[in-house]
Amino acid sequence: MSGRQRIDGQIAWVLHSYPYSETSLIIDVFSRDHGRLPLMARGARRPRSALRGVLQAFQPIELAWFGAGEVRTLAKAEWVGGMPLLGGAALMLGYYVNELLLKLLPREDAHPALFDAYAASLQALSRGEAHESRLRLFEKTLLKELGYGLALERDAASGEPVLAGRHYQYLIERGPVEASSLPDAPEGAPVRSIRGKTLLDLAQDDYSDAQTLVESKALMRRLINHHLAGQPLQSRRVFIELQEL
Amino acid sequence: MSSSAGSSGGAIGRSLGSSLGRSLGTLDKLIEALRCLPGVGPKSAQRMAYHLLQRERLAAAQLADALSEALQRIVHCQRCNTFTEAEICDRCASGKRDPSLLCVVEMPVDLNMMEQTHAYMGLYYVLMGRLSPLDGIGPKELRLDRLIERATDGVVREVIMATNFTNEGEATAHYLSELLHARGLKVSRIARGLPVGGELEFTDAGTIAQAMFERRDY
Ligand SMILES: [Zn+2]
Repeated sequence: MSGRQRIDGQIAWVLHSYPYSETSLIIDVFSRDHGRLPLMARGARRPRSALRGVLQAFQPIELAWFGAGEVRTLAKAEWVGGMPLLGGAALMLGYYVNELLLKLLPREDAHPALFDAYAASLQALSRGEAHESRLRLFEKTLLKELGYGLALERDAASGEPVLAGRHYQYLIERGPVEASSLPDAPEGAPVRSIRGKTLLDLAQDDYSDAQTLVESKALMRRLINHHLAGQPLQSRRVFIELQEL
Repeated sequence: MSSSAGSSGGAIGRSLGSSLGRSLGTLDKLIEALRCLPGVGPKSAQRMAYHLLQRERLAAAQLADALSEALQRIVHCQRCNTFTEAEICDRCASGKRDPSLLCVVEMPVDLNMMEQTHAYMGLYYVLMGRLSPLDGIGPKELRLDRLIERATDGVVREVIMATNFTNEGEATAHYLSELLHARGLKVSRIARGLPVGGELEFTDAGTIAQAMFERRDY
């Protein structure tokens, strides 16, 4: 059984950690070849433990672990480096990205493409590069890898190509439908329509248009909320509360 | 029934109590209560309870007294938020500290460490935690409004962020500094880098890398 093997040399990121007993830590890690899994880091909370600095979130590390069962045992953790630590506003975005993975990514499902997108996003965040477009790119990859890929370039009702100059409503689990072809929403707030250009920009990962950024943020938020199925995002709540102070 | 809390809280007490169809017995209550201590699971709680009742009855009584007395008498200092028996702690009440400097630390142990340095003669604010979004600890849980009120008393000129160099400590320092800057205060952050007497050869790579990223003019 592969679960009993010792796994060596896995590049991974700590998503979150939880104190366990007096001196240990359970880390929820995202590894390239084994996906997300919890590991028991024995003694990691001892005052002089060399693991203290290594098992921080937002930095790539190289891990070895062994054991069977739900929680494997961490055998080794080494600092890999290559990027500055996240600081300032990028930290909160890092928490948001980690929380998305913790809440949406099933355990022990390998997603190398998502792993690479995550690593690229954190690298970019640590260098202070275009935060918003980075997040959209990550969210898009996440949804695609989870099997909820976006349909952006075809009208889900007519099958016609989406046109930059038209307006659409994005129907969850279907795709964009030209706004004028939909009957008026019976009661309650209709979903805001989205420009065809935004959909096409999003398909090409082109976020140079300010309106594209605004509309794609709203669209991604709707889709992610849908897949969270009512689970609140703590990082979002904390961020909002900080803005209100 | 209690599916959401069932994973961590009091499985022993609950299963005992409910399987017998009555409320918790005295022993179960003690075991359950001991589980509030950090790192204490059901087994250690049971061991502690037996130990106290069997071998340390006198010490157990002293523990109970000390605990109830502490709960009655110890409050948070109205100025620095650390534990104290008075409304305002000795340090905050002392006229010998520089009231224009306010150093923000996470926990009372951090304050003690800072005091040992004799490098700082200003006042403190103890957060009693740090921002930790993924654990649900935000500005409301930390009562950041009280720190903002304290720092904007008109006397404080500089706020020194001495939170830990963990992600949570950094996030705390960052957001606090934004909030305090916006209120016209000077904000500084303690420096990080190699330890005193530190030799590159014996320093961990993460520390050296960050020291390189944060190098300064010389
Ligand atoms: Zn005080």
